[in-house]
Amino acid sequence: MTEELWVGTIGTIVLWAISGALAIASALILAAGSLSTNKTVHLLARAGVNGTRSVPTSVLVLMAGMGMMRVSSAPQLPNIYPGTSASFQHVAWSIVLALAFGSAGHLAEIFIAARSTLGQFRLEQMTVLGLSPMSRAALVVRECAAVALPPTGARLVHHLHNTAFAALFPVTDLFGFVQGLATATFRVFEFIALGCMIYVALSGLIWLVTRSLEAAYAPPAANRARRRAYVWS
Amino acid sequence: MVVNLLFGLPGDRPGGLVLTILYAVASGGGALALGLAYASIGVNWTRASLGLQAVSAFLRGIPVLLLVFLTAHLSGLTTGRAGLVALSLYSFAHVGEILRSFLAAYPADLADQARVMGILPIWEWLLMRIPWTLRHAWAAVSTHWISLLKDTGALVVLGVGELTTVAKALAETPANYNQWGVIFVLAAALYLVTTFALIKILRLAERRMVK
Repeated sequence: MTEELWVGTIGTIVLWAISGALAIASALILAAGSLSTNKTVHLLARAGVNGTRSVPTSVLVLMAGMGMMRVSSAPQLPNIYPGTSASFQHVAWSIVLALAFGSAGHLAEIFIAARSTLGQFRLEQMTVLGLSPMSRAALVVRECAAVALPPTGARLVHHLHNTAFAALFPVTDLFGFVQGLATATFRVFEFIALGCMIYVALSGLIWLVTRSLEAAYAPPAANRARRRAYVWS
Repeated sequence: MVVNLLFGLPGDRPGGLVLTILYAVASGGGALALGLAYASIGVNWTRASLGLQAVSAFLRGIPVLLLVFLTAHLSGLTTGRAGLVALSLYSFAHVGEILRSFLAAYPADLADQARVMGILPIWEWLLMRIPWTLRHAWAAVSTHWISLLKDTGALVVLGVGELTTVAKALAETPANYNQWGVIFVLAAALYLVTTFALIKILRLAERRMVK
């Protein structure tokens, strides 16, 4: 049982990490597209943002999973999801894509809102510095990280919870482990309590990492103010 | 197919989108009432409410899918009722915290004015604090309600016949083997339209509140 629990937990972490990274990458593209002056790019990006925000992750996961289950000749994809049999690795990959798509729009909105807090004056200042587009983008990310991190962390916790939908398919994850063993052994409370504790611990870990990053990326002025407060208090 | 997605499978009606909306409205309404009580307790008796706050934080820390599964297995209720309780608890954990933070920010000036005018605390609470909190928290609560409408899809784990479950059942029917894509695209479109309609209704309500 301990080994199954371990595999289920790692399975959830892998699903979360890969889909989360893909969601952040897609969100950055959608956010950049939303801010584009090109009308077609802007409209496409907005359609993507609104589409992903309005359709439940459950539907996206079911659509992706069922579609991939019906593929007669499964594509050869890297075998990286622990506990999931080799013949269902492609289903796990499709679920990862669905999970990423489900969070991309929400994250894009967070990034756009965080950028807007910089104000027109600071954005123009960055342009005047004469940096390359990539360096400017990196500077914008660095500048609005402190604002974007708390809601991003909250969304990534929600994203972790959404990985439970993988249990609707033969893809190993923590919820699948809890559901399977609770039903098979009738020790429902025991396994649900165990699952809850692990999910709460993982959520807490995401929150802690986000808070640490938030502190690290806080604007220098805020850091100075905090130090001063410590000195005089 | 569209009729089934809208009203549920024959013999299991109301279902589909109608049931999704019913679940969202019932759980959202119940959670709002519970949330107001929680916020009032949290603001007035902060220390005494720590246990309640811990329960709320715990509910926010677990997936809605696990909460639905937990409620169905431990409550002894029918799947439909267990689903409603689980969604209400999930919504309460979020809405309660939103309302608590806004209620705590109620301006002291307004409270003083009410005291000077001799308004009884209970009436001040009901006629001034609660409306003020609802008006200011509306945007945050609205965002949660939009999310809640989509989270009703978690009831698929219990087989409750809301929209996601109906779409899954239709896609799994051998007769629809080649139409699974169309079914899910239609279900997604129905969610999209409903979400946009809900956003419009909530904005309209917000505008009326500001007036």
